[in-house]
Amino acid sequence: MAFLRMIKKRLLGLLLVVLGVSFITFAISHLIPGDPARLIAGDKASEEIVQNIREQLGLNQPLYIQYGTYLKGLATGDLGTSIRTTRPVLEDLKAFFPATLELSLVALLFASALGIPLGVISAVYKDKPIDQVVRTLAVTGISTPAFWLGLGVIVVFYGKLGLLPGGGRIDEGLTPPAAMTGFYLIDTLLQGDKAAFVSALKHILLPAFTLGFVHLGVVARQIRSAMLEQLQEDYIRTAKANGTSKWGVILHHALPNALIPSVTVIGLALGDLLYGAVLTETVFAWPGMGAYVVNSIQALDFPAVMGFAVVVSFAYVIVNLIVDMLYMLIDPRISEVS
Amino acid sequence: MTASHPVIRKMTTTFKLCAMASAIVSAGLISSQALAATPAGTLVIGKAADPQTLDPAITIDNNDWTVTYPAYQRLIRYKVVGGKGTTQVEGDLASGWTSSADGLTWEFKLKKGQKFDDGSAVTADAVKYSFERMLKAGQGPSEAFPSDMKVDVSSPDTVKFTLTKPYSPFLYTLANNGASIVNPAVVEKQGTAYLAKATAGSGPFRLVSWQKGQSLILEPNPYYAGTKPSLKQVVVKIIGDASSRRLQLENGDLDVAEDLPEDQLASISKKPGVTVAAFPSLRVTYLYLNNKKGPMSDVNMRRAISYATDYSGIIKGVLKGNAKQMRGAIPEGMWGFDPKAMQYSLNLAKAKQLIDGSTGKGATLNFVYSSKDPNWEPIAISTQATLGALGVKVKLENLANATMRERVGKGDYDIAIGNWSPDFADPYMFMNYWFDSEKEGLPGNRSYYNNPTVDKLVRQAASLTDQKERTKLYQQAQKIVINEAGYVYLFQKNYQVGLRANVKGFAFNPMLESVFNIDTMVKR
Amino acid sequence: MNAMTEQTLPTAPDIQPAAASGLGYFFYKVKKSPLTVAGLFIILFMLAMMLFAPWLATHDPNAIDLMYRLLPPSAEHWFGTDEVGRDIYSRIIFGSRQSISVGLFVVAVSGVIGALIGCFSGVVGGRTDRVIMRLMDVMLSVPSLVLTMALAAALGASLFNAMLAIAVVRIPYYVRLARGQALGIREMGYVKAARTFGASRWHIVSWHVIRNALPPLIVQATLDIGGTILMAAALGFIGLGAQQPTAEWGAMVATGRNYVLDQWWYSGFPGLAILITATGFNLFGDGIRDILDPKQKGK
Repeated sequence: MAFLRMIKKRLLGLLLVVLGVSFITFAISHLIPGDPARLIAGDKASEEIVQNIREQLGLNQPLYIQYGTYLKGLATGDLGTSIRTTRPVLEDLKAFFPATLELSLVALLFASALGIPLGVISAVYKDKPIDQVVRTLAVTGISTPAFWLGLGVIVVFYGKLGLLPGGGRIDEGLTPPAAMTGFYLIDTLLQGDKAAFVSALKHILLPAFTLGFVHLGVVARQIRSAMLEQLQEDYIRTAKANGTSKWGVILHHALPNALIPSVTVIGLALGDLLYGAVLTETVFAWPGMGAYVVNSIQALDFPAVMGFAVVVSFAYVIVNLIVDMLYMLIDPRISEVS
Repeated sequence: MTASHPVIRKMTTTFKLCAMASAIVSAGLISSQALAATPAGTLVIGKAADPQTLDPAITIDNNDWTVTYPAYQRLIRYKVVGGKGTTQVEGDLASGWTSSADGLTWEFKLKKGQKFDDGSAVTADAVKYSFERMLKAGQGPSEAFPSDMKVDVSSPDTVKFTLTKPYSPFLYTLANNGASIVNPAVVEKQGTAYLAKATAGSGPFRLVSWQKGQSLILEPNPYYAGTKPSLKQVVVKIIGDASSRRLQLENGDLDVAEDLPEDQLASISKKPGVTVAAFPSLRVTYLYLNNKKGPMSDVNMRRAISYATDYSGIIKGVLKGNAKQMRGAIPEGMWGFDPKAMQYSLNLAKAKQLIDGSTGKGATLNFVYSSKDPNWEPIAISTQATLGALGVKVKLENLANATMRERVGKGDYDIAIGNWSPDFADPYMFMNYWFDSEKEGLPGNRSYYNNPTVDKLVRQAASLTDQKERTKLYQQAQKIVINEAGYVYLFQKNYQVGLRANVKGFAFNPMLESVFNIDTMVKR
Repeated sequence: MNAMTEQTLPTAPDIQPAAASGLGYFFYKVKKSPLTVAGLFIILFMLAMMLFAPWLATHDPNAIDLMYRLLPPSAEHWFGTDEVGRDIYSRIIFGSRQSISVGLFVVAVSGVIGALIGCFSGVVGGRTDRVIMRLMDVMLSVPSLVLTMALAAALGASLFNAMLAIAVVRIPYYVRLARGQALGIREMGYVKAARTFGASRWHIVSWHVIRNALPPLIVQATLDIGGTILMAAALGFIGLGAQQPTAEWGAMVATGRNYVLDQWWYSGFPGLAILITATGFNLFGDGIRDILDPKQKGK
């Protein structure tokens, strides 16, 4: 029952995280000099009008009351109303979150699909030239400014070669799929709309590559070191002695065991991808939460910023929880230890 | 631990499959090159940012008006003569109007057969409802109207406005986006917040869908009483990055691209199938000088800055010649413009002499700006360099736009930069806003300029109706504010937009930047 | 920013105190690893650029000329000119001072503060430890770029404030790392022995724990410098870093973004400078981690 106990403990922790995150963001948003009411009223508005808007938004109340009101709403799942868009924050985030999640997942898939084989090869041929090449590639990946890489691939693949679209999620002529999961790739398939699926796929390739390239390095490095450890183990030698082929040993014995510790790293990478999507999205006009939050910070729209922070940290904790649960399922020893 | 765990083995296989599948799919995609032009009858407009709110009683942002302006009608509209927008007005919903001799009561008669997009008629009640709703909201758009203005229905097709004191720009303000007439039945049924995300007007187009952060789709209002638009659909596409907007225009994925930097426009105009349309506008860029405190409160220091500004370098270099140096506050194209008004020019010797004779000698100045307009930073750097050569240190502060406004609003700066464009066609928008000491701070007088003589002149001008008399008063005030260097009057800029060559009939109106006349534009 | 978070905790080096067995051995291993040597060379090269910037630059990095804007690379301007006619090559040379010192400063500040809090938390244990760690969990859960952006916006845009903001965000990583080390060491025989001999808690913290937790912290710090440089560039990219006319790589990429289609060199070269510098620190960090990591040592 260690499993249930862990879940219970984590959910309690989640509550604390949401409380803490909302408090930190609230505090910082109010440190930023500027008056959101003035932003809505416009430059030319008189003080009277600004005051009126302040009242309408409840901005003239003491901060602790504003924060209290926010928490009360939060308890009922209400993230408040965006100052900038005048719509409920939850509604705004619902419109943007699936796009960000879809991009992050595809980027993660890309990073894993390439990073795992590269990590394995690198470990098997440790210190050989190919290992040096892979390691350099991995380090280059984590050292690349994503916004800069994004600009580069747009210029080349859209501007010069005209192979792939330069931004957005789907072609203009096509109607976006009715939201079922909110993931265009899945929704279009469910609805059997092949043209829309291909268009959605084309649109996601460049941003997912850009975002995934950084994490390719993370995955490859992690797999490499986990593999190196496994290849030292006695059972590998035993398997070899039993006459299993080299790659058979590697793929069927060493790799699966190396993946166990890597699940955590790759899972956490998803959390990082969600954050990291912010700049990539602005470069690719990807209609996710990134552009929304950047604009919100600039417009001093603190309900929106807090909503974003709360939702993302929530997702982060949940992802962690799922990863740990997977971990326990895979390796029962851990539940005994903790 | 010995052999592999079944779950893990499955995962490895899945990973292998995924890798293979993605490789195959991407290979297939790359081979199929297809970048089509936009469909016929559909106009695709690329904008930098998503609209924030579509409620005409709340929005003061031109970026929102791209959608709202064609979705609603107003009593009055700006005339288009020979395919060009003007500062003259004509009736839109109104067939005609009368005003009392003292300018305090105005009566508007509505045209017959005007309908909202649900088929219901536009009545005098709807007009009254819309104005009262806007005034009651008390947000940005209400600023243009006297708050004690009364709106009455004198007959089912006549509305009467009653003002308490004369307000000469009144007629023009009725063409503002904030004066849009909304469908009362829809607001009552859906709730007032509904208009933030949808349209309910009688204009030629209506909003049919909005994918947040991505695109908005407008289609003709089937009940529109005016001439039927030739376009079947208008798509507003949100593309934050200027380079991406330009590429999409060049590749034919956009028909119109807004907000392109000067240097990009210069290269686009050389590409086949693309034109750059340039229109003289009333948008000006100017420097605020803090008249109230610090070194800039000395008139000699302000004059020195005016002489230490590289006007022609900025216009030729930064703006690629797409601008004209201002002559005082009233821009060319607005009535009241004075073609003989004095202009400062770069004169370092004179500036040096003025600085030496001022109390601000040896001071370090701050210059606050934001990244809202990409031209601001080069201008700030240029000012810093010329003043640096004269021994005046300038500290540049690139702030978030909201923070910059806060600093300007508190008078916490020495030099700042801003753009200004009029909401209605009246020099009031420049002279009264910029110089009346009652409008000190963000509302308009951002230099905190204070001169009782000027106050008297501009206030008198605002209370008269005779344009000749008003022009005289404004020009008289302008001479004083130029001499006292209340601001650095930099330049008025052309409005430029990138269009596909087959897009015709765009009539730009200087009061309505970012608004496209999609009801009369055509695509060949 | 994705780049700053790549060293999440599980990759944190798991180093036993015994691992650091002599500098001679350390340098021997460094020499044997070509990538580590390459990383070291890049770092030395960049440090030299910082120090000798005035001699390496061909122009005054702040001299403007509005008539010679956005020129392509030429013999006169090796990397072309920017939007007010400044020499991009000279600005990259001088920009190294901002970008690299951000990395060093942030890592030093967050590393020292984080290590102290972490060791303290681990040694004291009990409720204090739980409170501190919960607080760190919360800080780790706030989206880091948002936290940094908001902090930088609140403090006002300047390079120093950007550095402070990044440092604050990085602290929890070091706290966790140092605490983990402290917990491990606390249970070791010799520390227990020291305690029974009457050594005070503070003596234990200051001497045994910190000294032994140092190698893994240094490795983490080296790996972090690259990430921090990227983070600072990301802040510069959204306008929250160094102020004009000071040259900073991230801000240069950001401004150059407006001209990327016609003047690729404008954002291309500063971006490359960021990439090379971050690669240098990461290669070196990777290398010394491998050397100090006992699990790899015997191989």
